[in-house]
Amino acid sequence: MLNVKEMLEELKASPYEEIEVVTPHTGVIEFVGLKPGDRVAGPGGKWNEKPGTLLANLTREKNKKPICATQKGLVTDIAAGLEGTFVEAGVRLLTIRHFLSKDEVIARILKKALYLFCAPERAKYYFVPEIDAKIKAGGEQSVKPREGMEMFIVSRMKRETPLAYSGPEGIVYAVYFQQGDNVDGGQPLIGVCQESQLTLIQDVVNRVQGEWEEQD
Amino acid sequence: MRILTACVELGHAFVCVYTEADATSGHVRLARELGGGESLRRIRSYQDASEIFAVADACQATAVHPGYGFFAEDFRFARRAETRDRALAFIGPSWNVIRDLGDKINTKRIARSLSVPTIPGSDRPIFDEMEAVELAQTIFAFQTEQGIEEGCVLVKASAGGGGMGIEEVYDLDTFRSVYRRIRNYAKRNLSDEGVLIEQRIFDFNHLEVQVAAERGGMNAVHFGTRNCSVQSLGRQKRIEVAPGFDPSSLDYGFDAATVLSAVTNHSVNMARAVRYDNVGTWEWIVTPKGDPFLMEVNTRIQVENGVSGVISRLRGRTDTDRGVNIIAEQIRLGLGEPLGYTQEDVGFDGVGIEYRIIAEDPADRFTPCLGRIENFRWTPEPWLTVSTQVPTALTGEPYDIPMDFDPNLALAIIWGADLAQVRVRGEAFLDGLTLTGTDTSRAPLRTNVAFLRTRTQTLLHF
Amino acid sequence: MDIDKRTQQLAARLAYISDIFGPRENASVALLKHRLGEFLASASGYGMRELHLQVDRLEELFSLLEGKLEGELSPMDRVRIVRHPQRICLKDILENVYDNYAEIGGQDEWSIDPGMIIARATIARRMGKRTVQQPVMIIGQEKGHGQEFRNGGSIKPWGNANALYYMRVAEAENIPIHTYVFTPGAFPVEDYPGAAQQIAKNLYVMAGLKVPIVAVFSEGGSGGAEAIALADKRLMLSHGYYSVISPEGAAAIEGGLKEKASPELIERCAERLCITAGDNLRLGFIDRVIKEPALGARPDNYEFFRQLRREIVRATDEVVHAVQGLGPLRALAMRRARETADPLDIFVRWSLSASARNALVSQRHKKYRAMSLGALNDNSTMGTRLYTGLVRCLWQVNSLLRHDMLAKYKRRLSGILEQMEAELRALDQGLGGPFGLFRHVGGNRMGIPPEALKLLTSLSCPEEGACRTEDSWVYVSPKSRADRTVTCPNTATHGCLDLWAPDLFGEFAGVCSHCGHHFPMEFQWYLYNVFDFAQAYEFNTELESCNPLHYEGFDLKLAEAKRATGLGSSCITFETRIEGLAAVVAILVSPFRGGTVGAAEGEKLIRAIERARIKRMPFLLYSHGTAGIRIQEGTCGVIQMPRVTMAVRRYIDAGGLYLVLYDTNSYAGPVASFLGCSPYQFAVRSSNIGFAGPGVIRETTGVEVPPKYHRAFSALSRGHIQGIWDRRDLKKNLHQALLTMGGSNLYYR
Repeated sequence: MLNVKEMLEELKASPYEEIEVVTPHTGVIEFVGLKPGDRVAGPGGKWNEKPGTLLANLTREKNKKPICATQKGLVTDIAAGLEGTFVEAGVRLLTIRHFLSKDEVIARILKKALYLFCAPERAKYYFVPEIDAKIKAGGEQSVKPREGMEMFIVSRMKRETPLAYSGPEGIVYAVYFQQGDNVDGGQPLIGVCQESQLTLIQDVVNRVQGEWEEQD
Repeated sequence: MRILTACVELGHAFVCVYTEADATSGHVRLARELGGGESLRRIRSYQDASEIFAVADACQATAVHPGYGFFAEDFRFARRAETRDRALAFIGPSWNVIRDLGDKINTKRIARSLSVPTIPGSDRPIFDEMEAVELAQTIFAFQTEQGIEEGCVLVKASAGGGGMGIEEVYDLDTFRSVYRRIRNYAKRNLSDEGVLIEQRIFDFNHLEVQVAAERGGMNAVHFGTRNCSVQSLGRQKRIEVAPGFDPSSLDYGFDAATVLSAVTNHSVNMARAVRYDNVGTWEWIVTPKGDPFLMEVNTRIQVENGVSGVISRLRGRTDTDRGVNIIAEQIRLGLGEPLGYTQEDVGFDGVGIEYRIIAEDPADRFTPCLGRIENFRWTPEPWLTVSTQVPTALTGEPYDIPMDFDPNLALAIIWGADLAQVRVRGEAFLDGLTLTGTDTSRAPLRTNVAFLRTRTQTLLHF
Repeated sequence: MDIDKRTQQLAARLAYISDIFGPRENASVALLKHRLGEFLASASGYGMRELHLQVDRLEELFSLLEGKLEGELSPMDRVRIVRHPQRICLKDILENVYDNYAEIGGQDEWSIDPGMIIARATIARRMGKRTVQQPVMIIGQEKGHGQEFRNGGSIKPWGNANALYYMRVAEAENIPIHTYVFTPGAFPVEDYPGAAQQIAKNLYVMAGLKVPIVAVFSEGGSGGAEAIALADKRLMLSHGYYSVISPEGAAAIEGGLKEKASPELIERCAERLCITAGDNLRLGFIDRVIKEPALGARPDNYEFFRQLRREIVRATDEVVHAVQGLGPLRALAMRRARETADPLDIFVRWSLSASARNALVSQRHKKYRAMSLGALNDNSTMGTRLYTGLVRCLWQVNSLLRHDMLAKYKRRLSGILEQMEAELRALDQGLGGPFGLFRHVGGNRMGIPPEALKLLTSLSCPEEGACRTEDSWVYVSPKSRADRTVTCPNTATHGCLDLWAPDLFGEFAGVCSHCGHHFPMEFQWYLYNVFDFAQAYEFNTELESCNPLHYEGFDLKLAEAKRATGLGSSCITFETRIEGLAAVVAILVSPFRGGTVGAAEGEKLIRAIERARIKRMPFLLYSHGTAGIRIQEGTCGVIQMPRVTMAVRRYIDAGGLYLVLYDTNSYAGPVASFLGCSPYQFAVRSSNIGFAGPGVIRETTGVEVPPKYHRAFSALSRGHIQGIWDRRDLKKNLHQALLTMGGSNLYYR
């Protein structure tokens, strides 16, 4: 049985996530005057259509691109020495200290409670088209995996093979991978919630809603 | 790697780009060794041309080498390098040459206009059913004449690609229905009714002619032929032998010497005619009856250039005693230097064989294997050159095969005075090779060494 | 009457007046306020007689000053009158003007759209001693004195659809339609059937509706008004307004959309837009003004309703009369009645005979064709006008001979031939069995002459040259000359790499090679690469936009647009050939004032459509982008919606093939009329189509729309457009569309 209280305490002890903002590609970096301790906002709007706070501009081949915050939080550390220089891809620009939101706490606790179906090997994973369509139409929880159900397409070295689900029956509660991204072997792909667990999960959600206080 | 070494040999400074996934691989290591940290730049992806040009600008580079893949055959990349405000010399043919020869059908038309024999079939999209049937009929007849028992015609949508809208037909009766199906498919999905009819290429002898030409395209030479007939599924080459045929020790059932001179002459003539201005490969097939047909032109340097280099000698140049470095020639030509020699100065000596050691499972449709290499060694010999990006070979530390790229582990080139010697040396190399490791999904790691071993027998005992 | 009640009424009158005049200082209002306050303060001290006297005096003063204030009304005051909850609304009219009515479009909030009232009503007319009940169909927006569920008379697409249905019912029943326009504008949502699409459908149907339509304008807000206002007679209440856009909207555009427009600016815009009844009468967009009492009609002005009844009956009579002869006596009486008597006394039958119904439609066409002609610059000389007129006549005769007379026989003949051929084929098939077998035997693969082998390996069609010419564009965008990269907007979702501008805008024709996103291209690109403009014959270049309302500052902007684009208007019309097929093409050019449509553009479109009709060519309208009706031309712009739609209707009824192609952003009036009414509409990928942009939707409805709300794909799934095309294949697709939809003669009937 899951000790929700203990896990909550544990998370409360370190309620932050450090997000490193790195350059997506090469180019000349130009900060916009942010200082450590400044607050930044993540994407907003009803459809997340408004980008987050502008952190820096990256210019490559006369094409100036904004780098925006992906989560809200505090700017903790800026590599100000890079201002105006040409940087390689994947260089750290600054770090955002992000206070976990209720949803994220729930997700973290659930990751321990749910049955996790993991990637058997490092590869790119996709849902099979039918399941993909179902998820797009009715959300993740509309999919009910059964033992032996073909759910994924594994793309590895440009070869694609189907992958069947194995594990208890239930509903998909969470999807942990981005379609088309590389997933390491052993990383969870989906979290499946068994019928019997539904009350437990409700309990987790209620508790977090009640006990977790969000901070900006 | 050989590009980096060639740069150093020629005395050029270089900057090598790499991606995060490649940070530990051999070529990055080598670049650091040869040029220090300054000669490396991490980029997002090898496929993002802007990254390469941005790095080139930042480093004040004057030329760009596109490597073997991705951009080497991309005429847009070449055009961009040549026409951008801060122009870079593209180490490869001019972009319009790449464009003209990059399209197989176009290549076919050019070849036919120069009376170079090409694969039987249409050289333009066919819109008329009668015409298509007639072509198919002729191809079947041709195949019968060539002694092929089960003739096969390929029907493909001219605007298609990537395996879509292509079908094989084995007899004339089904041809009509297949033709209509493909035509309707093309009309619906590609809004282009054009269909190509071509003979399917069987396991013929696959010959390549290595050509080099200087800027301006006036002077072109070849570095002999190589035989790339041993291929795995999906037409991936595994073993290459140079020269293409060895009539002195093997009987092919046709006049192999004449075929060799025909393909080299045709290739060089065509290179001159299209003003080809860098290194490139003319790919041929030779039917069992000894008729050569041009298949396509590769407008880039290929991995297997080394096997042609190892048997080539330049008159009066002692540095080519162990072969011509074709990559160095490519860089030289790409920077606009003249060839400095003619075909008469190119001589040939001995036989070369090249093995590609690949982490793949020949028993399972050559599925690539991923995993960790724990041990990778071979016995060094003066007649053997192995290039590998696996650091295990140098340092002994384990290496994880990166998953986004070719699982090519190593390339081994072996030289021998004649076919018999090469055969012996090749087997000796394969016997002395140690390669162990674990696959992430199937232990242990499998390679195609066993496959190479058996296929060498068939190839060299032809 | 009770003194208290009278003072209350006075207070209400004062409140109304101050509502109308808003925050403005006005001496008369202040005086009234002062006197009423004074009276109220001292009222307790007066005796009964004194009180009566004082109230009488006050009432007199109110009436006097109301009359005076009437003269001081600014256009914006009229807008406030119209929007005031005390303004008469359609229910009041139904109660007071008609003798009997039954709502058929739902009741109060139990309606598909409570803002739209549809009713059957009757008007009683005397015929000697007999009373005749004349039935009419009433359609109009209901503001409902501020009832929330009426949505202020802002009609949702399905409300307009319902209205359209009952217009058809009226047509079937052959009864006249009276429409009452009480709308600030349509509700700009794109849910099925889509605001723009539905208005376009309404206009298209009304353009050919074969019963008399009389429209009465109180509040005529742009497209929402047009949806029911394409009428044979257009009356307007003297305090109403009829405008292309609300003054606030115009001010918001004028002042830059970001900050809120100041009241002064709104006031100024209201003035410049020429929205009052007087202005519209002068410009010729309405036929008559119905006089309202001072400061606007309210539900208790019974005299006004009587007048409205007279006017609406007279208007209907006139429409009928114009197409269907009356007896000579009645005609005489009618002429007299115009000046004096009640029109209700002379009976006119409102149901039309078959011939009159056709005449009615052509009258309506003539009426709208003649509108707004003064609102553009025609720079052509008298000579050219005469010449074009002559050529037109010749073409008319030519096409009459060729298509109407000859074609009839040809069609009959070819019909017979087709039949015969089919017979023969059947015969052939019947006997075909044995022949067929022979043929099979013949198809042996061994029977090939050896020289055919040569065919396989030698160059076919050597005359074409060895190298196939690359697809290169005749016109190459100047954007392709900059050495820079461009980021595709879909990078986040599709992982597109940066594109190099010379590749993107040159070879790729502005299409992202990875995800297929279409970047906007210049209109010249289409002119030369799709429509073969170099070989085309352009006509009506001498028609140019002008500033008919003398809108302040617009002359300068217009001159700037003309200079920057080298065009006289946002519309280019020409005859061209698409893969060998002759067609008349019109283009709305986005860089010229946002591709907005005004009087000149409307006229050019109509002339192009007429040309296509006379020459029997397909007509193609390519919208390179249009922001809507040009607001600076006010109602001169709005009227282009019915005008051009009518021309389209006439063209299609004559058997024409009308194709519309959308690109970049096409919004508002044009989409809600002549673009949206085409049966064949296509869009270039990545284009947006809709009635109002996201900002306007947010402002008017308070609803946030999702980011991809107006994408062509949404329009496709809604059924607005019929297909989405890749820019690089436009020419091929157009050609294909002309062939499949146009049939063998490209003129489908």
